Amino acid sequence: MVIDHLCSQARGQNTTVTCFYFDFASQNEQPPTRFLGSLLKQMVFGLDEIPEEISGAYDDRRNALGGQGLQISDLLKMLQTTSTHNRAFICIDALDECATEHIAKVLDSLSQLLQRSPGTRIFVTGRPHILPEIRARLGGRVTSISISPKRDDIITYIRSRLAADTTSDAMDSSLEADILEKVASDISEMYVEATTPQNTSQVV
Amino acid sequence: MSRTGRLIGGPRGIHRIPQKTPLFYAPWDSYSQLTPSMIDSYNILSRKEHKMSQSFNNNHNSFNKIYINPTVADNRSDILAWLSPLDPKARHQDVRERRVEDIGGWVLQTEEFKSWSAGTGSGRAESDKPVLFCYGGPGVGKTYIR
Repeated sequence: MVIDHLCSQARGQNTTVTCFYFDFASQNEQPPTRFLGSLLKQMVFGLDEIPEEISGAYDDRRNALGGQGLQISDLLKMLQTTSTHNRAFICIDALDECATEHIAKVLDSLSQLLQRSPGTRIFVTGRPHILPEIRARLGGRVTSISISPKRDDIITYIRSRLAADTTSDAMDSSLEADILEKVASDISEMYVEATTPQNTSQVV
Repeated sequence: MSRTGRLIGGPRGIHRIPQKTPLFYAPWDSYSQLTPSMIDSYNILSRKEHKMSQSFNNNHNSFNKIYINPTVADNRSDILAWLSPLDPKARHQDVRERRVEDIGGWVLQTEEFKSWSAGTGSGRAESDKPVLFCYGGPGVGKTYIR
């Protein structure tokens, strides 16, 4: 939703939007170099021509040792030269699903990116337990929002599911109202109960 | 197949063009897997693109368009794949199709989000926070609600 919003805002502006979804199930395929490489790839994708620096490095390296990959420092340099002219939004989903041994490198890379390219804005989602790590690596540059399903969101969601229901004969307006009322209040309670103890333990 | 080629400056920078038959030049031997029908479609596409490019840009060197493009296109996708084999856009497309319109829109209305997305980082103000972290337990809808 945020990505789509940023993309529609970015249209016609000198702005790029890139995204990355960390996934617990593919941790091995998502080392920091591939993460940064993926961001770079998306930035380059929007350009008419591949920057000399990148095509040059590609030509150099494909001859060495049967095609060598780039190091984090190379990628950071390239990201810097590619993104300085623009405002660059980087959206990262589920950072907590990044392999633990990689999170520090990912965050340090992002920190460097922020320093080198002041136009960079980073959006991250994740479970609360990685907040201390983010704060430690990115310091005072972080602001945060706690996400929980809002009652209106749940009602919108149930409505859309009910609208897609194929047995619409079985539905009338009073049943729909009952479902909305019951499910929405149950879910709100569920999340209040589920999140409150967790938040307290985070503070401690 | 020879890997040597003349380096020439094209519209997208420097590209290696083959000295012999362009369609069978294979920096990564990928062309050797082309079937005759694929080559036919490719040729048709090249001609079409050539026509389009002529109408867009009359003083463009048409030789470049027709004969260099196979190598340019191939080189470009090779470089992109080399940068990273991962494709988060596919995952994004998936989320995009499943999510319900307007859900989570409240996030965009928060002060935190507004100032984060409006910030340019150019002022280097102390209060400017370039990183926005949205957190919540599993299943609260950080990615989307399903």
